[in-house]
Amino acid sequence: MTTTSTPIPAPRSSGGPTIVPTVSRNRRTTRGNTELYGWLFMRVSGVVLVALIFGHLFVNLVQGEGINAIDFGFVAGKWSSPFWQTWDLLMLWLAMIHGTNGVRTIINDYAERDGTRMVLKLALYTAFVVVVVLGTLVIFTFDPCPANSPADLLPSFCTA
Amino acid sequence: MQTHQYDVVIVGAGGAGMRAALESSDRARTAVISKLYPTRSHTGAAQGGMCAALANVEEDNWEWHTFDTVKGGDYLVDQDAAEVMAKEAIDAVLDLEKMGLPFNRTPEGRIDQRRFGGHTRNHGEAAVRRSCYAADRTGHMILQTLYQQCVKNDVEFFNEFYVLDILLSHDLVGGAVSDGDDVAVSGVVAYELATGEIHLFRAKSVVLATGGAGKIYKTTSNAHTLTGDGMALAYRRGIPLEDMEFFQFHPTGLAGLGILLSEAARGEGGILRNGEGERFMERYAPTIKDLAPRDIVARSMANEVREGRGAGPNKDYVLLDLTHLEPAHIDAKLPDITEFARTYLGIEPYTEPVPVYPTAHYAMGGVPTNIETAVLRNNTDFVRGLFAAGEVACVSVHGSNRLGTNSLLDINVFGKRAGLAAAAYAATADWVDVPEDPETGVVAELEEMRARAVGDRVADVRRDLQQTMDANAQVFRTEESLIQALKDVRELQARYRNVSVQDKGRAYNTDLLEALELGFLLDIAEVVVVGALNRQESRGGHFREDFPARDDAAYMQHTMAYRRPPGTAAPSSPVSSDAAAAVAATTRSGDLTPGGPGSSAPGTYDVALGYKPVVVTRYQPMERKY
Amino acid sequence: MTTQLDDSPGTSSTPDTKVGAIPSFDVTLKIRRYTPETHGDEAYWQEFTVTVHGTDRLLDALHKVKWDLDGSLTFRRSCAHGVCGSDAMRINGRNRLACKTLLKDLNPSKPITVEPIKGLPVIKDLVVDMEPFFASYREIMPFLITTGNEPTKERLQSAAERERFDDTTKCILCAACTSSCPVFWTDGQYFGPAAIVNAHRFIFDSRDEGGTQRLEILNDKEGVWRCRTTFNCTEACPRGIEVTKAIKEVKRAMITRAF
Repeated sequence: MTTTSTPIPAPRSSGGPTIVPTVSRNRRTTRGNTELYGWLFMRVSGVVLVALIFGHLFVNLVQGEGINAIDFGFVAGKWSSPFWQTWDLLMLWLAMIHGTNGVRTIINDYAERDGTRMVLKLALYTAFVVVVVLGTLVIFTFDPCPANSPADLLPSFCTA
Repeated sequence: MQTHQYDVVIVGAGGAGMRAALESSDRARTAVISKLYPTRSHTGAAQGGMCAALANVEEDNWEWHTFDTVKGGDYLVDQDAAEVMAKEAIDAVLDLEKMGLPFNRTPEGRIDQRRFGGHTRNHGEAAVRRSCYAADRTGHMILQTLYQQCVKNDVEFFNEFYVLDILLSHDLVGGAVSDGDDVAVSGVVAYELATGEIHLFRAKSVVLATGGAGKIYKTTSNAHTLTGDGMALAYRRGIPLEDMEFFQFHPTGLAGLGILLSEAARGEGGILRNGEGERFMERYAPTIKDLAPRDIVARSMANEVREGRGAGPNKDYVLLDLTHLEPAHIDAKLPDITEFARTYLGIEPYTEPVPVYPTAHYAMGGVPTNIETAVLRNNTDFVRGLFAAGEVACVSVHGSNRLGTNSLLDINVFGKRAGLAAAAYAATADWVDVPEDPETGVVAELEEMRARAVGDRVADVRRDLQQTMDANAQVFRTEESLIQALKDVRELQARYRNVSVQDKGRAYNTDLLEALELGFLLDIAEVVVVGALNRQESRGGHFREDFPARDDAAYMQHTMAYRRPPGTAAPSSPVSSDAAAAVAATTRSGDLTPGGPGSSAPGTYDVALGYKPVVVTRYQPMERKY
Repeated sequence: MTTQLDDSPGTSSTPDTKVGAIPSFDVTLKIRRYTPETHGDEAYWQEFTVTVHGTDRLLDALHKVKWDLDGSLTFRRSCAHGVCGSDAMRINGRNRLACKTLLKDLNPSKPITVEPIKGLPVIKDLVVDMEPFFASYREIMPFLITTGNEPTKERLQSAAERERFDDTTKCILCAACTSSCPVFWTDGQYFGPAAIVNAHRFIFDSRDEGGTQRLEILNDKEGVWRCRTTFNCTEACPRGIEVTKAIKEVKRAMITRAF
C-alpha cells in the first residue's frame, strides 16, 4: 500500500534533529520612499524608453535609405548635432538605470544567500559604472572628423 | 515540566475566550491557551448574524428579544440570564462595531439588520429584522475583529497548547465535599503540541471557553476540533454538566456532508420544499413558516423525509430553494453559502434548489454558570475562581433550543462578563496551592496511550460512536434507541481502554491528541444519552417519540449530570420516580461498566443525575406555536 | 447527487449501482513527509492509495490515510469547509486548502502530490511554522485606529464605503497567498500578500485613521514594492480575494500620497 521513494533534501532544515524554526524575521525597518521612487522610475523610464528606442530605430533603420545608410559617416553626422547627443545620452542613461534596477530586483528576489547577493550586485554595479562612464564619454568626446582618414568614410561636413 | 503563573488563564481562543481576554488583559496578567491558532476557532464558521434590538430598520425592543429567546428555548431558559443577554446585546454589537467590525449598512449608514428564525415582533406577531450581520460571514468577522483587538492589546497567547486537566483544591468526584464547602481552582495542566512538553499554569482565575462537542455526531457542522474538551475536563473533576441532552440540529446542512448553510438563507427569503415541491413549513408553523426555530424546522424536515416526501433519488433530503431570489441579492447577502453549494455539491443555487438535511450544530448544555459566569458545582455552590462562557457553558440562555444568532450574542455578552469577573476575582483573591505533582495524572494517561503497542484504532472507535449517536440519539429519540446508544457508548468506552496510537513521537503528535479527544467525546456522549433517557418528555431540541408532549410538571427543570462513584446520589436527585427507574434500569443494571475514560481521574464512575430549578421571572410557560 | 458525478462511470470501482449511489474510485497520494524523530533529517516522498467517494475532498483522503493506514501522518485541519484556514498545502504544485479541493477535480489517474506550503520552515510532514507569517500580519497594525471620542452609537458608514474594502475582509489568514509568492520563497523577509491584504482592509475602511502609518510601514524595502505582480497569490486564494489588485491599490495610495 505504501512505498517510500528517493529522499529529497529537507526544506530549510538546518541539520540536526532539533525542530527549532530556522527562518526568523530579522527585518530592519527600512521605510522611506526609495523603493517607491524606484518602482515609479521603472514605469516612467519604461514609457520614455519606448519612445526613444523606437525613434532611434526608425531614424537609423527605416528613414531614407534605411539600414544601408549606416556607416561611420552616418553616426558621426548624428552625434555632431546636440539634439541626437541628448537623445542618445538620455537613452543610454535611462536604459542602464532601468536595466540595472531590474536586474537588482531579480538578484534580490532570487539570490537566497546574503553573500551571493552582494557579489552579484557588486558585479552589476561595476558593469553599470563602466558602461555609463564609457558611453557618456564617447558621446561627448566623439570626433566626427578624425585626422588622416579616407574622406569617403567621413561625413560630408568634414573638410580635411 | 514548565511552570507559568498568571492571574487569569483563559482556555480557548474563540469568540468567548478572546472577548474575555480583551477585558481581563487590561486589568490582570492574562494568558490565553488555545489548541488552535486563534483565527482557526470555529466562531469563524458562524454565518448569519448577531441579534440585538437596535431597532435600526424597524421597531424592536430588548423585551421582545427576551421573550423570543425564552419561548424559543421552550421555557427551559433561565429568564434572568436571557434578560441580561437581550439587554446587553445592544452594547455588545456596538462594541464590536467600534472595534472595527464591518457590518453591512443601511442606506443611512447604520448597522443593517435582517430576519432570523424565531425572532419576532411583539411576542410572536411576525418575523422582525433583528440580526446584525456582515454578509454571511458574521462569525468570521467577529473572530477576526476580536483577534485584531487582541493583537492591538498585546494579549499573550499559548497557541497549539492542549489543556488536559483542571486543578481544583478538592476532589469533587470521590472525596467527601459537602454543600457549602469552599472549593477553588488553582490552575490547569497543558500539553504543548509542538514539543510534547507538559506545562503547569498556576492561576487565580480560570475561564473555560473551549466551545462545543459536535463531533459526538457523524453529520455535523462542527469542526474536527470540537471535541468537548472543556466540558469533559470539568465533568471528570466532578463539576456537573447541565442540560446535555439538548443538542441542536441545524436544519440546513448540505445533504450528506453536514456543512452549514446559514439560516440567513431563509431570512433573506429562501424556502424549504419537499420532494413534491411543496412549501411544507406552512403546515408546521403557519405564522412564520420557514423562519420557525431550528428544532421545529429540523424535526419537520426529518418528518417529511420519514413520511416519504423527501427529494432526490433516495428521497433522503429536502430542498432549500433560492431560485426565486435575484442573483445580485444572493451575491450581496449570501456569497459564501452559495459558494459552498457550488464547491461541494456542484449545485448552482441561482437556478437549482440545494439539497439540505439537519446537521448536529450546537450543544445547548454545558458547564453550569450563573449570570456572572461563575461555575456552579451543585445547585448553589460555586467553584471559586472558575468561570465559563460560550458554548462550553450553560447559563442557561438557550434552554432546550437556541435561537439562531444567539450564540454569537452569548459569546460576546458572557465572554465579556467572564473576562471582567475573572479579572475582578483575581485582583482580590489569594493564590491557591496546586496539588502535589499536579501533572502526574495527565502524564500517566499520555504515556499509557503512547506506550500501548497494539489495539483498536482511535478512528474506528470514533466512527462507531458517531454512527450510533447519529442513528440513536439524533432528532427523533425513543427509549429503545437511547438504550441502544448507551449500550454502544459503554462498549466503546471499554474498547477505548485498549486503543493504540501509531505515532509514538513527541513533536506534533496529533495522533495522540486525537486519542485523548476521543476520550472526551465518549464522556460527553454518555452524559448526553443518559440525560436524554431520563427526560421522558419532548422539549426543544430533545424529542422523544414515546413521550411527544412537553411535561412541565415533571421536567421544567435543568438536568444536572455529575460524575460520581456508582450508587452515589447526585446533590439533588430526580423527582420523577418513573424516569429515575428507567435510567436506573439501564445505567446501573447487571455488570457495571466503568464510567468514562481518563486516568487523570481514574476509577469506576457513573453518571448521577440531579435537577436544578429554572429561573422564571416574567414569562409563564405557554404552548409553543409559531 | 450531481450530474457531474453520475457522468463519471469510468472512475467507478464499486459494483454497487444502486440508484443515487455515489461512485467510488481509488486515488494515490504522493505526500512529501518530514519526520525528523523517526526518519532523520531528510524529507522523503511516500505514496498511499485509498478508496474515496465522489464528493470527497483531499482532506478526506488525508484523513483516510491518517486514520486507517499511517497515524503518524501529520497535518493541521479544523473546520473542514474552507473557513478556518488551517489546511493550506501545496497540491499538485498549487497552493490550495485540502478541504476545498475535490478529488474528482484532480485527475485520479495520476498520483496527487501533496507538500507543505513553501517558504515557511517545515516542522513535521505538512505542518509548517506559522510564526513568521503571523509576525508580518501583526506588523501592519491589523486593527481599527481612531482618534477622539467614541460615538455613542455606531460609527456611520455608507453602504458604498463598506463595499470599498469588502473583498479583503474575507481573508482567513491561511497563508496560501504568501507561501505561493516567489519573492517570499527567497528569504521570507517580504511582508507577503496576506499582510498587505489585511492592511488594505483597514487603509480603505472609511472609519480608520491609521492609513498613513500603515502605508509608511508597507513603503519598506520589504513592502509592497517587492510585489512582481505574478498573480500567484490571486490564483492561490481559496476565498477568491483579488489579492494582486489589493496590492496594486495600496501601491497607488502610496504614490498618490507621495505626490
